[in-house]
Amino acid sequence: MVARDDAMTDRALHVSTPLPEPDVRRPLDLQLIAIGVAGGILSGLLGVGGGVVMVPLLVLWAGYRQREAHAMSLGAIVPISVAGILTFGIAGRVHWLDAVALALGAVVGARLGAGLLVRIDERVLKILFGCFLVAAALAMAVRA
Amino acid sequence: MSSAALFIALAVFGLGTGAAAGLLGVGGGILMVPFLTLAVGLSQHAAEATSLVVVLPTAIVASVALRRRGVGDLGLALRFGLVGALGGAAGALLALALPAATLRVVFAAFLTVVGLRLVHDGVRA
Repeated sequence: MVARDDAMTDRALHVSTPLPEPDVRRPLDLQLIAIGVAGGILSGLLGVGGGVVMVPLLVLWAGYRQREAHAMSLGAIVPISVAGILTFGIAGRVHWLDAVALALGAVVGARLGAGLLVRIDERVLKILFGCFLVAAALAMAVRA
Repeated sequence: MSSAALFIALAVFGLGTGAAAGLLGVGGGILMVPFLTLAVGLSQHAAEATSLVVVLPTAIVASVALRRRGVGDLGLALRFGLVGALGGAAGALLALALPAATLRVVFAAFLTVVGLRLVHDGVRA
């Protein structure tokens, strides 16, 4: 009895432990390939990372939960940005000191953001991401 | 701004951008490119190139952290991203042939519809 109470208290205290979610493992199918290509094409076309198109497609089309979709998008961005760096012909254009300064902050921030992603409420995350998309759309419309 | 102050300002902005990227599942270029052009004064091309170099370590660090916590499937994500990277090369070629302003308007409309749908789903759920 005492042992069980301890176990429950222990679980309640570890708020950072993610709640179990349905298994997301699946094979690489045509749907995911299409989403990757859509992300890659828009990344090449508009100079954005592709996450803003991959996350909505992963959620609304492929049926991923919001949290899982964000993790999948971040993983897919790795090879997409490598390809961008290799093909963009950017070697002479990068302002390296600025890039190093931004990256030093960004890698620390990325850990914080990913830690928050693990814990945040699924609904709040969906609303936050939706607002972010609308704001991105406004910024893009202004630039256009 | 002195170069030291600019370095610190960029690192602080990078911290915020990285946190937003890790939470929102994006690379952060959509935040960095406007900042680099408007606040730092880089050209559009220089800003996009510099941003891309920052997106890579951001996505790697966030992906590794999420893999450790068991969120997502990094192996699968890397594989469909690799296929997507080929699409990116095609997109870069298309970009030269298509009117960029028109594309931005179409894409902005797409983002607005999807964004409102997600907010609606989140509020209703």
